[in-house]
Amino acid sequence: MKKQLTQGVLAASLSFLVWSCNQSDPAPKGDYVDGVFVTTIGNFRDNNGSLSFFKRENRTADIDVYATANGSGLQGGIQGYAYLEGKGILTVDNSSAGLDKVEIVDANTFEKIASIGAPDIENPRKVAFATASKAYVSCWGTNGDYMYSTGYIAVIDLSTNKVVKKINIAKGPEKLLVHAGKLYVGTTDYTNGKTLTVIDTNTDEIVKTVEFDGAPSPIGIDANGRLWVGAGRGISKVSLDSYAKGTLYAGTDASKIVGNLTFSLDKKTIFFMLTSDFGTKGQAYKVGIDDSVIDMSKPFINRNFTGLNVDPKQGLIYAAVDPNPVQSGYAVRYRTDGSVIDSIKVGASPIGFVFR
Amino acid sequence: MSKRFSFGVYLLFAIGCAFSYQSFAQKDTIFLAPATVRGTAPERFMSGLKYQKIDSVTLTQFRFQNLADILAYNTSLAFKNYGPGALTTVSFRGTSANHTAVLWNGLNINSPTLGQSDFSTIPVAGFDQLAVQYGSAASIVGTDAVGGSVLLNSTAPTQGFSAAIGRQQESFHNSQTQAWAKYGSALGKNWAISGKTAIYYGNMKNRFPEPTRRNVLLLPTQTIQKGIVQDVFLRSKNNHELSAHVWLTDNALTINPENAAGRELTQTQAYRTMLKYQWNDFSVRASWVRDIIDYATGDYSNLDHAVTDKLGTRIERDFHWNVGAAGKIQIKSGGEFTHFRTRVAGYERPEITENRGDLFLLTRWETTSGLLVSANLRQAFVTGFQPPFTPSLGVEYPLIQTNRYTLKAKGSLARSYRVPTLNERYWKTLGNPDIKPESGFNKELGIDQQYTTSDNQLFSFSATVYHNRIKNWSYWNPGNSFKVENLQEVLARGIELQAGWNASFRMIKTGARMNYTYTRSSQEKIYDAYAVDIVGKQLTYIPKHSGNVNLFTAYRNFRLTGQLLAVSRRYTRTDNSLYLDSYVLANLLAETNYNLGNMQLRIQGQVNNIGNSFYLNVRSNAMPGRSFAINLLLSYRSYTEADKKLK
Repeated sequence: MKKQLTQGVLAASLSFLVWSCNQSDPAPKGDYVDGVFVTTIGNFRDNNGSLSFFKRENRTADIDVYATANGSGLQGGIQGYAYLEGKGILTVDNSSAGLDKVEIVDANTFEKIASIGAPDIENPRKVAFATASKAYVSCWGTNGDYMYSTGYIAVIDLSTNKVVKKINIAKGPEKLLVHAGKLYVGTTDYTNGKTLTVIDTNTDEIVKTVEFDGAPSPIGIDANGRLWVGAGRGISKVSLDSYAKGTLYAGTDASKIVGNLTFSLDKKTIFFMLTSDFGTKGQAYKVGIDDSVIDMSKPFINRNFTGLNVDPKQGLIYAAVDPNPVQSGYAVRYRTDGSVIDSIKVGASPIGFVFR
Repeated sequence: MSKRFSFGVYLLFAIGCAFSYQSFAQKDTIFLAPATVRGTAPERFMSGLKYQKIDSVTLTQFRFQNLADILAYNTSLAFKNYGPGALTTVSFRGTSANHTAVLWNGLNINSPTLGQSDFSTIPVAGFDQLAVQYGSAASIVGTDAVGGSVLLNSTAPTQGFSAAIGRQQESFHNSQTQAWAKYGSALGKNWAISGKTAIYYGNMKNRFPEPTRRNVLLLPTQTIQKGIVQDVFLRSKNNHELSAHVWLTDNALTINPENAAGRELTQTQAYRTMLKYQWNDFSVRASWVRDIIDYATGDYSNLDHAVTDKLGTRIERDFHWNVGAAGKIQIKSGGEFTHFRTRVAGYERPEITENRGDLFLLTRWETTSGLLVSANLRQAFVTGFQPPFTPSLGVEYPLIQTNRYTLKAKGSLARSYRVPTLNERYWKTLGNPDIKPESGFNKELGIDQQYTTSDNQLFSFSATVYHNRIKNWSYWNPGNSFKVENLQEVLARGIELQAGWNASFRMIKTGARMNYTYTRSSQEKIYDAYAVDIVGKQLTYIPKHSGNVNLFTAYRNFRLTGQLLAVSRRYTRTDNSLYLDSYVLANLLAETNYNLGNMQLRIQGQVNNIGNSFYLNVRSNAMPGRSFAINLLLSYRSYTEADKKLK
């Protein structure tokens, strides 16, 4: 009897222990804890962009996860999405001024937490987290004259869900990269801006500006700890200490620019698009981080994509195909040798992938 | 709509129906009667086609609203709405906004640059009569009449003087003001003159109590609408009629009016003028229409200004023959010539002119047995290319005709065409000067029946099926940077059911009217690798099912009307992967009037969207919820000679 009691107590304690361990380190629960998100901008005046989602093993997508979770869509093109520790932030661009917003959601369930609109957020583009309680959103500002002179980085405090600071950035801030206490801010191709801005994420002050040949777009940090930036026709590797840079050029045709640059899983190869005519024509190319020239003899994939990203879990290449803004786009999966695997229908005009 | 409110609506309608049990006595005059066509209007040659006239009571009820509102609640037409007080375009029988001819006194008033009308800019106060003609009638009215036509007409006032001033005060700080005067008098022994002058002004501020509904933003808009209408008719005893018509409109829509940097102005102005002369079987018409569109964002210092002038003339001659037992034959032959001159910033040249001509021969044969046959031919000529030859054939025949019951069968075969719009031909880079005109072939069959019971209840029912194939459908191809191309071939087919019932019992009059519309309209041709995903799919923004119900009960001067509109889901993507949800709207109107000698005060209270139904416009913004309006109309009418005799 006593033995049984002891065993029972032991078993109970053990199960309690196991249970508490589970409690202290829970796996996130929700429909969206594992899979691929696709940012899509839809048709501009229809304001029907969405964040599409599919599980890696599936061939069909939920076109609009926000609408699925909350009942109605977000009324705009989804320009960017990022998540960290249970919170996700979407940037929503409406065709009318004053109706843009960022939407803060539960990253696991996609239930709405808060939304921030004008005048704090106008023409939002991309989003990046500094910490679980601080995020940055690049905004073009009101930009009524389309001169891109009103841009800023909105600093969001996620404990209050408010914009606590605006850091002015000329020439349409666009792509963001956070690394080791620094925020790197690129600019949009629609401007003649050539400046990469570096912001200290502790003070939220600009600490450095670096000039390029074209509108810069920070790609990431390679296997050797160097920053890579695409700008115009050039792809530059930049020292994080001295900001000294070396640039490789994708061909000689001045009407073309690089874009959608992304690292391979091992951070030793960069895949990118070389496009012309405002992105309506283009092919995918690649370059190794130690290459001395970009091999332009033939494209890596001879197809135009509006988005290109590598899944950090499996290393596959996800490419966005946009037939036109009024019908479904496609997420096409490729192996790293450029061979196609399959395709999945997503929202109209897909522009990028976020993996979880 | 919440359950509670739908129950409320149901109850209301049930009450309306309960009145019907005890109803008999005289026919109600407001019932939607079969069209009576006056003179030699082109409508006379539309045999075999469905024609629906909107009655005057409905016109009065909607007199503070726009053309889209009245048509959505009373016809089979579907609308694409971009926000409260904002752009509203039509889809008639599964076609695009370019495929409906909007005719003002017989003149096509679609914008020549856009080839369509914004129905939100046409207030019901701007015309006296409204009719809708379903199906292709391009052989009769010319370009754009592919899905159907909307006919707005002015009528000559009778002798005497009458005037009215009216005001609508609505929720959201919206208001409408209008005034009109009608006058008529003899002019010597042989002539009579009559006319109408009307002005209207509306300011829809749309100040919604909350900026969102269910977390979805409402589009902030303000619309200021004003206009003047002037008609003068000079008629002689020996059948001369000279008339002049002027309609000046100005519609200024501002999206985000409070946002100085991002506000967006679309100002649409139209000067429409017409001079008509008719003598027996001969008529001639001259018209000048100027359409101005100004667009700007932000500080409005740099207006995007577009002006198009359209000068037109039309000559017609009618011939009649009585062919004894074979009946009567009528022929209308004529021609039209129109000169366009346009200055649009985005065009390839600063000023562009285009000439269009039309020759037509319309025939109508009516036998003594009631068989009606129309055969019509039209050939249009346009600078730079030739639209297709456009014949049509229509037949109507009364299968059963007794005192109480009539059953009429009708059918029509018609070619149709659409001359490319000026934008399609001349827009820099995106336009295509060599774009081909569209051509369509419409087939339809219908029945009309009417039954009057022994207690004078009137039942009517009509059913129409159609099949309309449109080739060379031009398309601002989103897959090719929105360049215009003759890519598509669209097949539109559908069913329209219309039922009505009217009854009266002593002081109580009651009635019901309903429309159900099934529309299946799809792209039929594969033109690029991704078109595989869209072939056979329903065209965007065209509901497969739609319907409306109008119920009324009147007791003495008091009238209660319930309006119901139901629209099924509308796809927003060509592959039907995304859609706007279906919705139901219900409105309730109560009205009464007081007579004080020559004066009458008419009071109408209106609850729109009683169920507070949630639905989205095509910009994905929420549309407003329940709203209230009160309409006052104070009118004066001089006693005519006829009135005095009655006294």
